[in-house]
Amino acid sequence: MMPLLRVLHAELLKLRRTLAFRVIFVLPLLVALLQFFALLRTKKFGADFKLWETLPSNMLAVWAVFMMPLLITLETALLNGIEHGDRQWKHICALPVPRHAVYLAKFVAAQGLAAASTLFLCVLAALVGVAVMRLRPELAHAGPVPFGWLAKYAGLVWVAAWLIIAIHTWVSVRWSSFAVALGVGIGGTFFALFAASASAGEFYPWLLPMNVFKDERLTTALLLGGAGGALAALLGCLEFVRRDVA
Amino acid sequence: MPTHLIETRQLTRRFGARLAVDDLSLQAPEAGIYGFLGPNGAGKTTAIRMLLGLIRPDAGEVLLFGEPLAANRRALMRRVGALVEAPSLYPHLTGRENLEVTRRLLGAPRAFIDPALEVVRLAQDAGRRVREYSLGMRQRLGLALALLNKPDLLILDEPTNGLDPAGIHEMRDLLRRLPKEFGVTVFLSSHLLGEVEQTATHIGIIHEGRLLFQGTLSELQAAHRARLTLGVGQTEQAVRYLTAAGWGVETRPDGMLSVSAVTAEEAARVNRLLVGQHVEVFHLSPAQVSLEDIFLTLTGGPEAARRAA
Repeated sequence: MMPLLRVLHAELLKLRRTLAFRVIFVLPLLVALLQFFALLRTKKFGADFKLWETLPSNMLAVWAVFMMPLLITLETALLNGIEHGDRQWKHICALPVPRHAVYLAKFVAAQGLAAASTLFLCVLAALVGVAVMRLRPELAHAGPVPFGWLAKYAGLVWVAAWLIIAIHTWVSVRWSSFAVALGVGIGGTFFALFAASASAGEFYPWLLPMNVFKDERLTTALLLGGAGGALAALLGCLEFVRRDVA
Repeated sequence: MPTHLIETRQLTRRFGARLAVDDLSLQAPEAGIYGFLGPNGAGKTTAIRMLLGLIRPDAGEVLLFGEPLAANRRALMRRVGALVEAPSLYPHLTGRENLEVTRRLLGAPRAFIDPALEVVRLAQDAGRRVREYSLGMRQRLGLALALLNKPDLLILDEPTNGLDPAGIHEMRDLLRRLPKEFGVTVFLSSHLLGEVEQTATHIGIIHEGRLLFQGTLSELQAAHRARLTLGVGQTEQAVRYLTAAGWGVETRPDGMLSVSAVTAEEAARVNRLLVGQHVEVFHLSPAQVSLEDIFLTLTGGPEAARRAA
């Protein structure tokens, strides 16, 4: 455990002044702005419109199906790209640090960044809701922010995304090219649009975060996304440990 | 303490059909500087990667400090610092932050950073981002990373690669200081013959993956004996007298003689013999065979072989 913590401590410093740190704020902000202006421009809300049911679920859905996979693609590519730049792998792997700790730290760091970004999205969801309540008097009595619901589904979306994080960690460690990582991310998200309505969509990695909102797919999403993600990370780690370092 | 800090036994590594390192048995003694010399593509970097556990050998084994690397990599690597080819640095971080990253990975005390910066004379520039560093500064920072954990053994792959003459001079001085001032044994690879000649106490010559020579510089030069250059008034008589006395003599195109005498005593004997026979001697100098000549002879360069003959 100690070597993993040491490597994570080093990862934190490497992120200083990088785009990887800024992206965790920028992407949720885009989702929040989109939702904020969509609500503000709505001419008339129906009598049955419930702000705190619509707003958080809309934001988390956009996050789960599109922005989070994009975030994971960018974060893993950036996290590992800094090691490819000056071929830092050879330096790190020549240190008395277990190689599995080096790989797992990359996976855990990506998980941490995804968690931080999802958490920030929840904060923004609350802020957007409160702002809309002030700006649209007809929604002034929408009630309190559903922090419990937000925390629960943000957590579920995050756990279901572990498999995508594991896939992207392996891809971006394995290939130095940003284009490969981006290609896998865009391809995965693009096919998710088609897989959403198919029964196979229950098992499609890039749809798992979205599937947590469907009761009949929740268990699969958590098992395949969470446990499958952890297993995929271990397999990637095994491959990394055995590989020659160029 | 083991006699050799680095020992490899029949180390072999293939890449597809190409044999990169072939049955390599190195022995680098403690203290001093071991120069691992070979032309580009000779297998130096592959061998160094195996010494550091970055790649696995197909056959043979590596021993560091007398212990097998495969069984004790982490414990042994605590005593080793390495710089493989170009230094691995994070350009968006400062020099000090780069050292801090490695310090965190090693779990070393924070107090190790300043001495490492001072050894490589980068304390003044430690707060600047590495992207602003010159090539020489980057190389020195790479060396500071290797020295951070106060290693007993430093393994450097082409540490002067890409440096300008001033940078090479500075790096050479730095490397020479390490064994004396810090008790570090240095193992460095290079294709620059003059570089190794000026820094190394022991050398190993590798060509096409095979070790051609290993020992001290004087052992290498003794194995490839120098010759005496002689200028005389009566060439034919001189050749006759010297040959009769058992020396090997060749007449060079410029009229000078090349005699198979090496030591000062032998030179004096040659001179005495000729003067005693009334042959006028107007030039007598020992022609040192440079490491470059020996190296090229060993690695099969035909022109150099002719030169060294």
